[in-house]
Amino acid sequence: MIWLLLACASARRSEPIAGPMTVEPEGERVFDRHCYSCHPGGEGGLGPTLNNRPLPGFLVRWQVRLGLGAMPPHDRHHLSDEELDALVRYVRALRRH
Amino acid sequence: MLLAALGCYGLLRSEGGGQQRAVHAREVDPADIAVVDGYRVEVVARGLNFPAGVTFDDSGGIYVVEAGYAYGEKFDTPRIVKVAPDGPRVVASGEEPPWSGVTWHEGAFYVAEGGVRAEGRVLRIAEQTTVLADHLPSMGDHHVDGPVVGPDGRVYFGIGTASNAGVVAMDDVSWVKRHAGFHDVPCEDVELRGDNFKSLNLVSPGVRLSTWTGAFVPFGTRTVRGQVVEGRVPCSGGVFRVDADGTDLQLVAWGFRNPFGLAFHPDGRLFVTDNGYDNKGSRPIFGAGDWLWEVREGSWYGFPDFVGGHEVGSFHKAPGKQAPGPLLARHPGTPPSPAATLPVHGSADGFDFSRSDAFGFVGQAFIAAFGDMAPAVGKVMSPPGFEVLRVDVDTGDIEVFATNRGRVNGPASRIGGGGFERPVAARFDPAGRALYIVDYGVFTVTRTGLDARPGSGVLWRVVRE
Repeated sequence: MIWLLLACASARRSEPIAGPMTVEPEGERVFDRHCYSCHPGGEGGLGPTLNNRPLPGFLVRWQVRLGLGAMPPHDRHHLSDEELDALVRYVRALRRH
Repeated sequence: MLLAALGCYGLLRSEGGGQQRAVHAREVDPADIAVVDGYRVEVVARGLNFPAGVTFDDSGGIYVVEAGYAYGEKFDTPRIVKVAPDGPRVVASGEEPPWSGVTWHEGAFYVAEGGVRAEGRVLRIAEQTTVLADHLPSMGDHHVDGPVVGPDGRVYFGIGTASNAGVVAMDDVSWVKRHAGFHDVPCEDVELRGDNFKSLNLVSPGVRLSTWTGAFVPFGTRTVRGQVVEGRVPCSGGVFRVDADGTDLQLVAWGFRNPFGLAFHPDGRLFVTDNGYDNKGSRPIFGAGDWLWEVREGSWYGFPDFVGGHEVGSFHKAPGKQAPGPLLARHPGTPPSPAATLPVHGSADGFDFSRSDAFGFVGQAFIAAFGDMAPAVGKVMSPPGFEVLRVDVDTGDIEVFATNRGRVNGPASRIGGGGFERPVAARFDPAGRALYIVDYGVFTVTRTGLDARPGSGVLWRVVRE
């Protein structure tokens, strides 16, 4: 039920809508390089919305590394462990933004 | 989301921005556009007919180029109109649409023409019209792009590829019926691996219901391993330059897919936006974003075998389809990495760099994102594009600069209000104080095909408060 309620919340977090995002710049850079094209600013696009889905960090890591559905896996060649950590922190901060 | 998480992407319906049943008369209200704090959106002109670009003369006059053609086989007269208080006034017109871009330089308009019905050209329009470049191979999916005048005074333009990914198929039926022998033309000789792709044949169904087609050849033509396709200039997927008097046409770089937007950074570097591959045709490529490239002279940018600097493969496998493999036996070079990778199917188009502290963000790119054409280009789960992006080309950081208000993203005709429909070009005025955004107008994708609404285009302006 909580998933359904949270899914009803707007996912829009871009600067004109929610103001500038000033935290986790390193994670934002990783996100822009590897994730933005399918999840623009964490909103939906080719892929689903991320901004209003409270996925725990370990599940984000799992999905990024292994891929799921239409999303391809991103191995350490694509994305280092440090970059993935920064990415998870950024996605978490983006949801609160 | 749950279905996607379970791997049932194929069961979800596409939610493209143009996928609408009924669109009423367009509202225009800048209050429905959210812009970064400290800026204001204004309406400059409305009622424009498939507008594609904007430019400014030496005395501050504002001119819009109207394409005269829209995907979906809508033809009209391409023209340049001057924006005036009493309505647009035609200052030039042509016969071969689309006119997909315009720029003013030293007393003349420079126009990218066609060529849907005829080969493309680059024109210089003053008291007389001069053809700067002709016989441009642009009669396929993508056309002549730009132009823009460089710091060297030369005219730079692009030519898009004929096909989605190097192989002509039934997604190209509209132009294959017009130009049956047309296909992608490499800029240098290329050796093929000899892969051929099966496609329905609705062009000449009396002959065969299906057919096989290879890379860089006409529809229905097979290729063999080791076959060499001769390159020539002008060619498909290239950026070119020509002197302002029409002499000395040169290839600058190639291997792009559709280098629609061209702009020079204040420091002199040339950048292009490049519309990435679609999930369609007989060689679909999944998950390819659009790119912002810095153009390095003599480089090859990867078409048809690389996606944003990475070789095609399982990473770009469309659900339920085979992973794409390379078409070329040897690659002409190693593609660079893009300055930024922009939303898949978002259609990153015309753009410009801020040059003035009066506007801010000096050196950053402002890119009009036309928005998706799903499901014709592939499925999307939410509408990407329909907004203006700001990109730091040195870091790759991407931010939204202006977007429609609302709980979800999309064109105003889908989400309500009077904001953006389809931003197709962005350009600063000569003083650098105002960013002009060309909005192509209402463009839907229905069961019967693509449907652009004439006369629904708008010219917006963003200024600092």
